[in-house]
Amino acid sequence: MIETQHISTPLLAAIIALLLPLLAFLIIGLFGRRLKRQGDWVAVSFTFIAFLFSAFCFSQIWQQAPQYFQLPWLNTGIIKLAIGLRLDNLSALMIILVTFITSLVMVYSMEYMKGETNYPRYFAHLSLFLFSMLGLVLADSLLLIYIFWELVGFSSYLLIGFWYNRDSAARASKKAFIVNRIGDIAFFIGILILLTQFGTLDLTTLFGSGNIQGLVQQSKVLGDHWMVINSAGSIHALNKTYLTIAGLCIFAGAAAKSAQFPLHTWLPDAMEGPTSVSSLIHAATMVAAGVYLVARVFPLFDSEALSIISVVGAFTAFMAASIAITQNDIKRVLAYSTISQLGFMITAIGLGAWSAALFHLVTHAFFKCLLFLGAGSVIHQLHHLKHEHHLDFDHQDLRIMGGLRKKMPVTYIVLLLAACALSGIVFFSGFLSKDMILMSAWMRTQTEGSGVTFLIALALSLAAVFTPFYIFRLIFKVFWGDFRLQKIHPAHNLIVHESNNFMKVPMMLLAAFTIFIFYSFNPIHAAHGWILEGLQAPLSNFNKETVISGFVESAVPAITLLLSIAAIFSAKKAYADQKLRFLSEDNLLFQFSQRAWYFDAIYDRIIVEPTVLLSKLTGWFDKRIVDGFVNLWGNLTISFAAFVAWIDKRIVDGFVNFTGSFSTWLGSLFRRTQTGRLQQYMALGVLGLILIFVLTYILH
Amino acid sequence: MILTVLIFLPIFFLMVIAVLPKSQTSWFKYINLFVSAMQLGISFILYQNFDRSLSASTKEAGFQFIEKHSWIGLQLGSLGKLQIDYFLGIDGISIGLLMLSAFVMLIASLASWEIKTNEKGYYVLFLLLNTAIMGVFCALDFFLFYIFYELMLLPLYFLIGIWGGARREYAAIKFFLYTLFGSVFMLLVIIGLYFSVKDPLTGAHSFNMLYMMDTANYVKGSIFDISSGTALLFGIPARLLAFGVLFIAFAIKVPIVPLHTWLPDAHVEAPTPISIILAGVLLKVGGYGIFRVCLGIFPEGAIYFSWWLGLIGVVSIIYGAMNALAASDLKRLIAYSSVSHMGFVLLGIASTTVEGASGAMFQMISHGVLSSMLFFLVGVIYIRVHDREIANFRGLLLQMPVFSVFVFIAFFASLGLPGFSAFIAEAFSLIGAFSSASSNQLLPHWMAVVGAVGVLLGACYFLWTLQRMFFGAKHFRGGADWVKQLTDLNAREILALVPMAAFALLLGILPSLFFNLSNATLTDVVSHTLKTGSSQLQTLTNLLF
Repeated sequence: MIETQHISTPLLAAIIALLLPLLAFLIIGLFGRRLKRQGDWVAVSFTFIAFLFSAFCFSQIWQQAPQYFQLPWLNTGIIKLAIGLRLDNLSALMIILVTFITSLVMVYSMEYMKGETNYPRYFAHLSLFLFSMLGLVLADSLLLIYIFWELVGFSSYLLIGFWYNRDSAARASKKAFIVNRIGDIAFFIGILILLTQFGTLDLTTLFGSGNIQGLVQQSKVLGDHWMVINSAGSIHALNKTYLTIAGLCIFAGAAAKSAQFPLHTWLPDAMEGPTSVSSLIHAATMVAAGVYLVARVFPLFDSEALSIISVVGAFTAFMAASIAITQNDIKRVLAYSTISQLGFMITAIGLGAWSAALFHLVTHAFFKCLLFLGAGSVIHQLHHLKHEHHLDFDHQDLRIMGGLRKKMPVTYIVLLLAACALSGIVFFSGFLSKDMILMSAWMRTQTEGSGVTFLIALALSLAAVFTPFYIFRLIFKVFWGDFRLQKIHPAHNLIVHESNNFMKVPMMLLAAFTIFIFYSFNPIHAAHGWILEGLQAPLSNFNKETVISGFVESAVPAITLLLSIAAIFSAKKAYADQKLRFLSEDNLLFQFSQRAWYFDAIYDRIIVEPTVLLSKLTGWFDKRIVDGFVNLWGNLTISFAAFVAWIDKRIVDGFVNFTGSFSTWLGSLFRRTQTGRLQQYMALGVLGLILIFVLTYILH
Repeated sequence: MILTVLIFLPIFFLMVIAVLPKSQTSWFKYINLFVSAMQLGISFILYQNFDRSLSASTKEAGFQFIEKHSWIGLQLGSLGKLQIDYFLGIDGISIGLLMLSAFVMLIASLASWEIKTNEKGYYVLFLLLNTAIMGVFCALDFFLFYIFYELMLLPLYFLIGIWGGARREYAAIKFFLYTLFGSVFMLLVIIGLYFSVKDPLTGAHSFNMLYMMDTANYVKGSIFDISSGTALLFGIPARLLAFGVLFIAFAIKVPIVPLHTWLPDAHVEAPTPISIILAGVLLKVGGYGIFRVCLGIFPEGAIYFSWWLGLIGVVSIIYGAMNALAASDLKRLIAYSSVSHMGFVLLGIASTTVEGASGAMFQMISHGVLSSMLFFLVGVIYIRVHDREIANFRGLLLQMPVFSVFVFIAFFASLGLPGFSAFIAEAFSLIGAFSSASSNQLLPHWMAVVGAVGVLLGACYFLWTLQRMFFGAKHFRGGADWVKQLTDLNAREILALVPMAAFALLLGILPSLFFNLSNATLTDVVSHTLKTGSSQLQTLTNLLF
């Protein structure tokens, strides 16, 4: 274990960046209502300062040796737990990304959340989220990651349920927390296995850094055993399946947070939160934490775990993309799109394309955040319209929008840029990162030639073609054609404005980052871009490095690009020009997609309902059987006591009373003889004498 | 002297209250509060002066603040001398629980201000209970321990039976009989131990617990002697049977499934301060007894039954959680969540690892604070509208925002959110249970995994309650009347709740505050149990088969 308690300047900067949001949370949480502007400036300024510190940190750490800071925390003799920070390329990149996007979203929120009754609470919770997220990426041990992991889930719970008096929001927040908890439990079990095997949870000790091997890489699978010389210096062995299980458990934790099948169902519901929250937490940052985690523990995954991860990721990418095509709620389209894109990243990890996964995480964070903010801008304006004219309509429904291109030109342009980035159009960021993942998948198929790898590559490619279709469906439905709401309410003169600068400026800044130039000077190939140079996969005993070359390198991007453009044109034909119809709404396939493959219904039927039923059953069992048994004993004891009392009264006491009354009876019998008359006595005496004589005679 | 003062301070003020005239009733609650505050102060002095390095859990050298006086000494002719000592002392196991008790009693004293009937009787009984609780954690003479142990029952019976809810008499008698059932058999074991153990200094039979922990002090051929052979009772080695009897006696208090059904009734019917004491302190007497008595005197039983102990722990965790999920009364829900959380104590103890034992110990402290807080919070609603049905409330967050914030804290702390004490406690119990398979082969891996599922269920029932009672639009069964009656927290309530929340948070962030206190002792308890226990178990099995 690298013990260091010396704090270098970058570490100090990171600590300050970490603590500022916590401070903001406390200040606003305790005094928010009494502060000027209800304290929003505290959150915004602290976040921005945190961003500056992160930027400094990043400049000092990127491509330099990692730095550590640790304090002892808990020592029970056998396990020693420390808390500390680890600053390396990955964590430095993550903190600058998170603080930058959060700063922008906070500025945006000042306008978007204006007039909310719980305005200060919103900023308090957002600051708490930022603190947890920064802690998560800076943490230097799995235990600490787990702690912040749960805190991230908690702050997400608070933010999804921000409008808690809406039933749907209350339900959604509960669902999000519980589904995440399922993943957390799995994650925790993974931690238990690692702690038992290695005796430490320190990231550097476990996974090494740079070219130095950690305990995980040193451990060997020999026969049926997974052996290691652990941190205490003794040989430790577990059954070798525990290696796979440990990896999959931690992956399950990541799958919950990153909304991967089968734990993805909470994310679409989480759209009940404010759109600014969705944009920051449920698109750009928190959901990426799962990808971050699997990237961190990457050396732990053996070949079985890696293939399961890639299959899950590819399936999720395809499934979510196929759902996004038919959704009518603007936020749900984006939510499923997020799930799909996270699936790409997870697949990349499974395929060993470690740096491609993280690269996509970064580019996706910008354009997905922007997509949500743009959607929020539209929703915000429609919401105003609804209040102004006292109308009743769903302001997130794509079917009432249309023709907003002229009225909201800035929103339109930034969304268009983000859509291009998401679709992977050349010169945009998504082209670079997504195509790297696709290329890895097809390259793997080429080298291995197995059916599974082909299916993975195929699923990803299909998802990649669906992507431009669904996102441009959204663009065309919102911005092209006629304003359908006006048609529904012809009596009102509905005028939509562009959002103001608080919302416009953050969007425009984010829009800049959809362009390739920020990631690589070469618009069609990012391999020599600064990001990929700094993101090198950690050593792993199981990872088969895929070198992309030859036919795949040129054919995959080209074909994908062509298909994407074709998809955009068909979307235009269908939704802008209304000249094309694919499936009618009552078609089974359409229904299957729109109902999100019926996952919610299935889970309700096979998990939620049985659990509730089981709890009712145990409740009944406890009351009737267990407590019934106790009460039965009580009643039996009482009955037995009554029986004993009866015996006591009737038999025991009865005998006593009988003796008494018998004596009385006998006495009264003999009393009759005591008459006091001499003649009677004499007569009785003579009679007795005669009786004696007679008896003696007979007996002799 | 300090322990004697701690224990008997309430008795002194009990007498003061008893002689004060009725017209002075308004002073009683202040006197009671003063006693608790004093005790908390004393416990801080103990904390400050506690030597954290002493480790011997079975020798007098491992104990501190010892007071030992001969109390009852009778010459019994040929039977020898009856020797009962007034023997007090604390170590790493008891110090934490003592501090917890002082803290919980203070909170309960604050909650007692709601008692408006027959206050003199109430406070007399309350102070008597206080003495008994402090005494149990300090007594090292088994006879003295038993006296304090039984002395707890009497005031509790009356406190539930007189100041309780609608079914108070049923609940009180149920509670009383349940506990008595366990302790009667315990008395038999105590007598057996008494005749088996001799004071090595005086040669008289002794009730000294520490002597009972050393096999050298056993009389050759006596019923619990292990060196010269072992007695069989009903075909079972007497020592294992004794372990079982003592375990059941204490396990009823913990409580374990299926001996738990007194708890929901007692909690639901008891007035708020008594619920707080029941959950905060009384359940811990069970855990303390298992640590001190079962593991200390019969360590081989702990090894022999460890699988069953673990199983009971896991069953309690899951079963309690499922019942909490099914509960429709908020107080009942919390009572069952207690069953679930105390299961972790048992699981940790069963693992016989330092991590597990520390987790169990920490869970007792943590649960003591959090369950007190939860019951206090339920009391807040109940005192206002005399209703606790979950279905009768909706949108409480709008109605009572400050109250709801505390409920949030208590719920999330209880469901194991990192940063609060319960997370550390449950994590360590599970770490212990999981590592047991490779360190001492006592518990299988699946027990830790199933235990972890209990943590998930905890999230389910607490969050479901939040959703049903606190979120959504405001709607109460009592309508406009309730809206008027459901006022937010007053200053006294906030004063009681803030320290509990702060304490849970402090322990969650700096768990070493308590870990350091108990670590040396628990390390010794575990190694004593493993070493002595295994060798004695070996002896027993050799003799038997």
